[in-house]
This record gives sequence, structure tokens and C-alpha cells, in this order.
Amino acid sequence: MTLPGFSALINAWWFLLLIPLVIFYFLKLRRPRVEIPSLALWRQVITDQRVNSPFQKFRRNLLLLLQILLLCALVIGAMQPYLYSNARHVQNLPVMIDTSASMAALDEPGGRSRLAEAKEKIGRLIDDLLPDQQICLISVNSTARRLTDFTNNKRLLRETLAGLQPTHVPSRLVDGFRLTQALSRGNSIETAILMSDGNVPQDIEFELPFKLNFQKLKPGGTNVGIVDFNARRSRNGWEVFARIEGAPGTKMQAEYELLQNGQKIKTELISIEGPRVAAEKAVEVENEKKVDHPAGERLMFKISTDTAAMLELRLKPDGFDALDVDNYAYLSLPRPRQLEVYCPEEMKSFRNALAIVPGLNLYPGPDATPSAVDLKFAEGPVSTGPEARVNLNVGFVPDDLSALVELESGLAEIVDWQRTAPLLQHVQLLDVQIGDQPKLAAGISERDFEAAGYEILAESRTGPLILERPGDGRLDLCMLFHPDRSSLVFRVGFPILVQNVTQIALSRARLLDAKAIPTGEIPARKLEPEKEYQISGPSGYTETGTSDKNGYLMGMNAPYVGQYEINSPDTERIGASLVSTQETSLVSVDKLNFPENVSVSAGDAEVKGDQPLWGWFAAIGLGLLVVEWWFFQKKPAGVPG
Amino acid sequence: MDNSTQFTSLMENSTLARAERMRMLPMRRRTNRSRGEHLAGKGGTSTEFNDYRDYVAGDDMRYVDWNIFSRLNRPYVKQYRHEEEMHVVILVDASASMQFGDKFTRARQLAACFAVMGLMNIEKVSVFACQHATQTPLILAPCTGRISMKRIFKFLEDIPPGGDFPIEKAVESVLVQHRGRGIAVLLSDFLTFGALERPMNMLFSAGLEVFAIQLLSGIELNPDLTGDLRFVDAETGHTLDVSSVGDLLGFYHEHLNGLQEHLSTLCRQRSGRFICLDSSQPLEEILFDVLKRKGWVQ
Repeated sequence: MTLPGFSALINAWWFLLLIPLVIFYFLKLRRPRVEIPSLALWRQVITDQRVNSPFQKFRRNLLLLLQILLLCALVIGAMQPYLYSNARHVQNLPVMIDTSASMAALDEPGGRSRLAEAKEKIGRLIDDLLPDQQICLISVNSTARRLTDFTNNKRLLRETLAGLQPTHVPSRLVDGFRLTQALSRGNSIETAILMSDGNVPQDIEFELPFKLNFQKLKPGGTNVGIVDFNARRSRNGWEVFARIEGAPGTKMQAEYELLQNGQKIKTELISIEGPRVAAEKAVEVENEKKVDHPAGERLMFKISTDTAAMLELRLKPDGFDALDVDNYAYLSLPRPRQLEVYCPEEMKSFRNALAIVPGLNLYPGPDATPSAVDLKFAEGPVSTGPEARVNLNVGFVPDDLSALVELESGLAEIVDWQRTAPLLQHVQLLDVQIGDQPKLAAGISERDFEAAGYEILAESRTGPLILERPGDGRLDLCMLFHPDRSSLVFRVGFPILVQNVTQIALSRARLLDAKAIPTGEIPARKLEPEKEYQISGPSGYTETGTSDKNGYLMGMNAPYVGQYEINSPDTERIGASLVSTQETSLVSVDKLNFPENVSVSAGDAEVKGDQPLWGWFAAIGLGLLVVEWWFFQKKPAGVPG
Repeated sequence: MDNSTQFTSLMENSTLARAERMRMLPMRRRTNRSRGEHLAGKGGTSTEFNDYRDYVAGDDMRYVDWNIFSRLNRPYVKQYRHEEEMHVVILVDASASMQFGDKFTRARQLAACFAVMGLMNIEKVSVFACQHATQTPLILAPCTGRISMKRIFKFLEDIPPGGDFPIEKAVESVLVQHRGRGIAVLLSDFLTFGALERPMNMLFSAGLEVFAIQLLSGIELNPDLTGDLRFVDAETGHTLDVSSVGDLLGFYHEHLNGLQEHLSTLCRQRSGRFICLDSSQPLEEILFDVLKRKGWVQ
């Protein structure tokens, strides 16, 4: 049995009031005088043996007992007792609240959202907060945000909790854990609470420095939603693909509408069946059925357009749909055009390889070179030619790498390369002889390149040969050797490599394909440099940001599904969609896996902090007061009416 | 009550008129030797025939019924009833304890009614009012006849209230001065610390049939008291601290019932009568309903 603790033990001094209470009771200073005809009968009553029995004496002093109990209840209440929970008495308790899209799911038609249930549980936790305990509320979705400092201000915590709304982004818990870890530097944190529906990634790359209490809410009900919406360039326009899936056990019909620039172009009724739940599978195994249920519905549309277009796909389920936000998806199709490539005439091998790639305009050429292109080749450190999103620099060391590596004449051989990198896909670099030999500076390792923002795609024994540096809305690919001084140009891999570069450029220019922009963050936009822009979105969302010196507006949030608009005349509307298989499935995990075989199981039991008891004692005190009043005023038994 | 038209301030004229036509019904004949209206148990010299008996030597020859003797040729003595006088003693407790509620008023009214009944039935009526233990009771000397009615009313109306005369002492004081058999009407609350056996025995020995009427007010019959109180005796001024009075009311009622039972037993064992009346009860109801039904009066 755990004894209760006291938050304000100093109030025990109030027990000294028992002394004057007893003294005054027996002094009976205010005993009223009543004149009666004769004391004869009352004296007989007082001397009655039954009246003087211990029980009667106890009854006669019941008022004193009630008063002592009342005082004790009030003093103990003032001492603020609490019952220890199973967990240790924690002073700083971070509460991570999953506010991802799945938390908006309802449990039943007209029911409550998962976040509302989480709020109710956390509200009870706040109600039970002891004076020496502090709670920090953290909202976790694709990022993490601290909603309050560590505080025991219940009003502030309740207000913050009441204002918490689910976002339309997928879950990513690691940011929440990192934020909690950062908070632990200033505050001692032993335990953190994660309140989630369990619709989160199961494996988390984070080493827990504190104890995690994973409180899992009941998952939402049946749900269908759009989990993918993309398009691929075709000869005649765009081939648009959409995938609609349902939560496990969901089986319903839904009507979808496809709108192009706000005009409805197609509508159809489809049947959607989610993955079978475990019980259904067991029945099928028992009946030796082997029916392959398609998990979801794949849709394909052909869109022909000469201009940029905004596609909107709407889903209207005919049954209960727990999550509404995944029924809308947006896809921006760019205006079809040729890929603009700048390749100096001195780089003949590259120009020859580019000549066979269809759908591109090569500069310098018959037409005037534009000020900006999609892809630029360069073979010297002096930057000439137009600006480009994708740059392939060959045969020299960029200035920012000059301190790390230098080129020497000599034979180099590629020993390893990233075969899955977009640039080197299907490119065989084995036994390629290279006339330029990169040599690392003394004490330089791969980490120094990473620190400089580069990733090594291929390396020789003496140093890196091919690197890429993404960032600032552009991609720099660096081949530290010149292909003309290697056997690469004579191999079939060279045109493939050039083709890969064009594919990267096409993708970067969004000419190859288009994907629905997921909620969370709006991709970088090229606008006027160093200018403040305001972005406005659904649900009254607005955010202001400033473009960098290169004109890229980055890091703008898109927390809600819908269309966003930047206050710039040249930019088109941007649609953000949930398109998350995980969020639409509403599947919940029962266990979170952390590195080094650490796992945390979910608990359905309600989070119980140290249970404050002062309210109970106050209620007992009030009850005793009522009983005392009733006892004092009651009509005695045995008195004739 | 308009005193100018009322015979007495103690009761209405109509009540008085009805009381005049009533008479007390003692259970046993306790009469004086002097002639009166009550038939004595033994034979007498009144004109009302009672019985015959055989003549025995020494009988007064004047009482032999010669007509019977002539027919039966045997002497029979003719017997007549003896009518004697009954003395009605009325004792009114005028102590301070009787000042609560309507007890004293009701006691004086009942005393007046019993006195009227006695006077109208040619009884000797004497009234005693007991106040202070250190003083002799106020006495209205035995009187008889309708002519004494005004005196009795005046006496009763003028009894000053207050005092600490316990009823047992009062009875003894009365019996010191009283002579004669009959009825003793005791009008008191009987709330005394003393024993009541002795005065009852004395009354019985004096040839008085006890009509004990206990008059209690509301605070005595149904005390509506709670909490811790300090009771003050109205007669002696003594105090008694009682805690949780509300809890003890049950015991109080038991002791009150016990007192009434005890008084009833004392009276019954001495051929007397006892009744407890609520002083708030109207006089007419007590007189013409309760006492009639109990057979005290007719």
C-alpha cells in the first residue's frame, strides 16, 4: 500500500486548532439558557443509566467528533495530499500530442475526433496537476512545436489545449522526441507522455534519453482517401494517376470528381475495399479461400493541355468516412515545353550525347541563349552562360572544395559509386580509366565533404570523383575529372549518364512528371530576390516569408489540405494534399521501435499522474458540515408528532 | 370576556351554567357524619327506605314495621338510608412551575368548576392555594351553598402566582388544617423532586378520595429543544447543563410517561383517580368531554 504524499506539509500546523476546538467545546461558552417549569424530569433523564452508557456518551459528543473530523478534513485538504501513481513523482512532464491528420478521424458517425479524445485525457491530467508539477504541451505532426513552457498554470494549459487543432500532415515523431530532448537540457525530464492514435511510423531513429509513456487512443472508423495523385508526361499531354485506398475492413462505394482548373471533367462511381482485417483473413484460411482482394483502386486519366493546369480530385464516399481531409487532392501540371539546356560548344562529347535526347533546346544554337536554362554544363571554374537549376561541372574542382581536394595528373580508377543515385543509374563505371587523379588534402575525410554540403557519388582510391550538392533550389553535379580525359566517353554509359542528367533536369523543371504536393511544406519557389511574400491558404491560414538573394522562397508551411496562393502576380496557385497511405489507412501500431532494441509498447490505460486528493477532503469536509448541521437540527426520534 | 356581564373572569357564563348542573362522581362514599346529600353506606334516619331485617333484641321498637308484623306475625325492623355530607377539598398548585403556558389558568378554572359542582350539590367546599414553601397555604374556609360561589371565584381569581411549594409538602400543609372526609381535588403539574407516596397515603387516611389532575404545558409534553442547553428551574433557580438535548428527548418522554404511570398507580391503589391534561386544551372540552367520559363528573 502506498502512503499518500503531501504537497504543502507546512499546513499541518493547522492541526493545532484542534486544541482550542476541544477546549471551547467543553467550555460550552455559548450554552443557551432555557427556563423550564422543573428540572425534576430532566434530572432523572441525566441520571438514567442508559443515557450514561458509553454509546450514549459517544452520541452526546458526536458533534465534537464531527467538528474534529471536519477540521481534520480541511487541514488535510490544505496539506494537499496526493496519491502516487505507478510512475514516480515527476516534476516536469512533457506531453507530446499527435496532431497529424489521422487525429482528426472520427470513431463513429457524428462521433469525436481522436484529438478531442486526447484533449479530454490530457485535460484530466491537467486537472490532477499538483502545485510542484509542471507540464509542457508539445504538438507533434510532421514537425514538432512547443505549445507552452513547463508550467503549472492550469488555465493557460487548458486554453492552449482547447486551441489545439489537428493538422493535415503525416506523423513524424522524431522531431517531437528531439524537441523533448532539447527541453530536458533546461528541465529535468524523467518521463514523457506521447498521446497518439498510433498511426505513426513504427521505427523511430532516436535514442530515448527518457522514459516514454505511449498512450494509444482508439483508432478511427472506416475511411477511404486519396493516397497518391501524380502525372507523367506523355506524347499527347499528361497521363494522370490516382490511387484511392481504404482503411482495413472498409468496403464502400464512392464517387470521384476530377476537376481541371475548376471545371468538372470526369465523374465516376467506384467501389473501394480496404485491406482485410486479421479476423477476415483467419476465416478465409479456415475456409481455404484464396481470393486476392485488391487493396484500393487505381485511376488513370489522360489530360491534354497546352497550358499549366490545376487538377483537383474529389472523393465522395457514400458511407461513414472517418477522415475527410484525404478526400481531396490537388495536382499542378506545368505548361508543356522543351527542356532548355546550355552546353558550351567546346564540350563536344556532351553535345553529341545531348543531340540524341528528344525534347530539348540546346544552347548555344541558332536561337538566342536565354538568361536562365534548366540544365547547364560547364568545364571551367569561371562561370559563363545562363543561370540554371541543374549544373553539371566537369573537369575542375569547385572553389568551395579547393581546400579539400585537388586534381593531379595521373591515372585514377573508380572503386565505388552509388548505383542508385539518379545520375549514375544504369551507368557502369567499372574499369573506366580516368586521366585526372583527385587527391584529398591532408586530414580530409568524407565528413568534410558532407560538412561542405556535398555528397560523394563516386570515388577513387585517392579521392572523390563525382559529387552532388543539392540546395537553394538548385542542384550542382560535379565530376572532378573530365570525361574527355577518360575512357568513359567511349562507353555506353556516357550517353546514359547524359540522359540521366537531362532526366534530373526535366524532373527539377517539373517537365517529366508532376506529383501532388504533400502537406507540410511548400516547395521552394523562384521569385524576386529578397522580397517579402505572403502566402494564404485554406482555413484562413497565412504566413509571411522572404525570398533569399537568389529569389527562392523556401520553408513556407502548408499545414492544411487545399490551395495556397502567394501574393505575387506571376505565381500560380499551389495545391497541397495529404496523399499519405499511412494516414488514410488509420492503421495504428502497438509498439514503437527505437535503436538498440528499445521498444515502447502502447498502453490503453488512462495516464494517471499523481492523484491529488484535496478535492476529496474538501468534499468530505462539506459532507461533514452538512451532517453536523443536520444532526444539530434534526427532529429527535421518539418525539410524538 | 366582558367582565361586566360575566359572573366570573374564570369562565364563560354558559360554562358556569353547565357546570352548575353537574356533580362529581366519587368512586367510594366518603362522607361526614353531618347530614348532607350523599347516602351513607350504613343505615340512617332519612326518609328514604332502604331494607328490612329481622328484629334482634335491643333494636329500637320504633323501627318495627307493624304492618308486616300483623301479616307475618314476626317482627321486622324497617331500615332507612343515611344521607351524609361530603367535603370537597380543592388544592391549587400556585407555584412558579404552574406559570408556564395556561397551566395556572386552567387549574383555577377547573378548581372553580369543581367548587361550583360541590356547592350546587350542598357539599362543603374548601380551597387551598400553595405558593411558597415557607408560608402556609392560602385558605378559603369550608363553605357551602350557592351563596358561597362568589367568594370562591374571588378567592381563585386573586391567587397570586409564583413560589416554590412542592406538591407533597402542600398536601401535608393542607391536611394539617383540613378536617372531614370527601374528595381532594389536586390541581398540579406534579413535577417535584419529592416522593408522592406519603401525601397520597395521608389523603387516603384522611378519608379523602383523590382526584389528581396533572396539568402540563407544551414545553413539558413535547419539548422542541435541541443542542446543548442550560436548563433553569423556574421554582428554585437551579441549573442543569444538558448536552445533545435532542438525543435525550426520547428518554425524557419515557420518564414523563413513567411519572404519569406512577401517579396513576398511586391514585388507583388508594381508590383515587388520575388524569393528565394538556393545559392548552379548552376548558369546555376538558369538563364536558374528557372528565365526563372518564366518569369523573356527570
